[in-house]
Amino acid sequence: MISEKGLWSRLWLRLLFTGPTLFAFATVMIVPFLYGIYLTFTNWDGISTTSTMVGFENYAHVWKDAVFWKSFYLTLKYVVISVALVNVVAFLLAYFLSSGLRGQSFFRAGFFIPNLVGGIVLGFVWQFIFSNVLVSIGQKSGIALFGTSWLAEPDKAFFALIIVTVWQYAGYMMVIYVAGLMNVPKDIMEAASIDGATAFRKLRTMILPLMVPSFIVCVFLSLQRTFMVYDLNLTLTKGGPFKSTEMVSMHVYEKAFLSRDYGVGQAEALVLFLLVAGITLLQVYFSKKLEVEA
Amino acid sequence: MKSWKSLQTLLASFVMVTVVTACGGNAGSTPAASNTAEGSANSGSASGDVKITLLNSKGEIQTQLEDAAKAFKEDYPNITLEIIPVPAGQSPFEKASALYAANSPSTITMLDTGDVEKFKDRILDLSGEKWMSDKVDGSTDLTTFDGKNYAFPLSIEGYGFIYNKAVLDKAVGGSFDPATITTTQALEDLFKKTEASGTGALIVSPMDWSLGAHYLPLAYAGQSADKAVVNQFIADLKAGSVDLSSNTVFNGLMDTFDIMKEHNIDKASPLAGTYERGPEVLGKGEVGIWFQGNWAWPQISSFDTASGAYGFLPVPISNNPDDFGNTQISAAVSKRLVLDKEKSTPEQQSAAKAFLEWMVYQEKGQDFLINKANIVPAFNNITLEPKDPLAKSIQAYIAGGKIQESMSALPADHWSKLGASMQKYLAGAADRATLAKEIQDYWPTVK
Repeated sequence: MISEKGLWSRLWLRLLFTGPTLFAFATVMIVPFLYGIYLTFTNWDGISTTSTMVGFENYAHVWKDAVFWKSFYLTLKYVVISVALVNVVAFLLAYFLSSGLRGQSFFRAGFFIPNLVGGIVLGFVWQFIFSNVLVSIGQKSGIALFGTSWLAEPDKAFFALIIVTVWQYAGYMMVIYVAGLMNVPKDIMEAASIDGATAFRKLRTMILPLMVPSFIVCVFLSLQRTFMVYDLNLTLTKGGPFKSTEMVSMHVYEKAFLSRDYGVGQAEALVLFLLVAGITLLQVYFSKKLEVEA
Repeated sequence: MKSWKSLQTLLASFVMVTVVTACGGNAGSTPAASNTAEGSANSGSASGDVKITLLNSKGEIQTQLEDAAKAFKEDYPNITLEIIPVPAGQSPFEKASALYAANSPSTITMLDTGDVEKFKDRILDLSGEKWMSDKVDGSTDLTTFDGKNYAFPLSIEGYGFIYNKAVLDKAVGGSFDPATITTTQALEDLFKKTEASGTGALIVSPMDWSLGAHYLPLAYAGQSADKAVVNQFIADLKAGSVDLSSNTVFNGLMDTFDIMKEHNIDKASPLAGTYERGPEVLGKGEVGIWFQGNWAWPQISSFDTASGAYGFLPVPISNNPDDFGNTQISAAVSKRLVLDKEKSTPEQQSAAKAFLEWMVYQEKGQDFLINKANIVPAFNNITLEPKDPLAKSIQAYIAGGKIQESMSALPADHWSKLGASMQKYLAGAADRATLAKEIQDYWPTVK
């Protein structure tokens, strides 16, 4: 039907359906992105009516900004630990909540709910838990671990961030793993049972290889989300105590809007974008090779 | 079929038009292009009704400002004033620059002192206003560039040790006289007496803005009573030629800080405290002293157990009562109002000017400033007495000439970066040499 028409009318039709989306995508993603790249070559401070082109000076600043690389390293540490924990916890939850447990739908819903709470609210709630609820429990019961607020000490504050991240994302990833588990062909599992394979054997040599696509998606999602963490960082620790938990997004933001160094902040944002895009692409590329056919 | 075709054409051209106009709009928002004051007459109809907006960055007076807008409308029925709040946690600079980037600035914007200069190409010169002749001396120095004043000084704010008189009366066994605390030694004795009387001595709130923007700058402002010496000191810091570890004022201030650390009721976990905890323990009389400013009065009053008997003590920096800073508290104009000149019509601009004048000269305006919003005004013609004890205390210090000007125009990230260094020192994770080094390393990076 479409092929019968001329080039122009086909173009009109395409524009009719994809036009609005293209328009939205261009205005809120492409144009700001390109304009942002332009800003990395200026010394604009965010408000002044004039700015001069400074060439690659801002990128040189990024290279020399030790705090940026320190917070990038910290973020990397946070990403590695939380991606591992989120996916292990999510897979175990999915495995046990697909094994025919009584009330498993109820538990699934329960574990998924933290994901429906926005990062800001979640951060405030957990801040209250860490600095008030746990402290008062610790003081009453004499458990030294909870005697003082976790958020007041650098290492504990870092792990507080990880705990909340795992709590937030594990339920969401669990849903994807549950779908993956459902897609493992029943006939193969039945054949394995008849052959006398143990549950662990089935998990290791059948289920895990067949679920590689789910792992790719989940690791990708958790990588990208934890790399860009900002809301939780802001509301739970505000980067404190004394900037020891300031993740890279927060540093970039503060560079641009607090230090009034918009050009450098924007350049750091672009560097961060390239690094994260690179890491996630590599992850997807290499884990694709692990995929097997059932 | 025919109608379908024309509908297609219509829709497609609609898409094209929106794309084209959107691009045009975006080009206008580049910093260079918006330089041209377009002054589109988007409001203000023929009947003379003017609508103006005020971006309020002093969250605690939001409702008072809304009431003031209503009172203002009674006096000027054709002007409607709308108050836009800056969301909690967002800086006024950030919100104001976002509004400018969106080409929809508020007519009046409430900025912090240090931010005014950044906006000076986009805001009105207010040098010719009537209130200029009644302002407190020096209150517009920091917003005057090339001989033109760009901002209206809204409020004077001061900070120091806030004391709860009921607690200190009990500690000294009689009526506590704030004039006796002029040395570090006297302060320490007072802490010990308070503890001996069975109450906590003080609470140190660990917020980075409190330590970085209020406490540490005492070391700069306390260098000398002469403003030029202080400015030179800042210039030397930027040039990296100051050795803080041998600086008497810095060391004296940190000696006092050590004593504060020692007697802090949150000593076990000094960084765990929150702002909200300060007014609570001070108001309830669990501690005698809290380092904070007069903006905290609404929170303190909601816990008040000392029937309103509170006041300020200076932060001593030595054991010689005659040294500068030992009898002065820190105060300065903190919030400024600026008027947009890019997008506001002349009618809106004059309406905004009328509002500023209304606050200074009209009965209802003064009533709003002093009685409703508890502001210490920066104008000599206003004779209304403040009701809150902290504002009274500041006015008493001003009247006695016992004021050291707060450093209200520090670099924008000073409070955050050096506040973190102070937190490190407070928690014992850094010693004084590290702190001094971090301060010295910070200043040369400031642009």
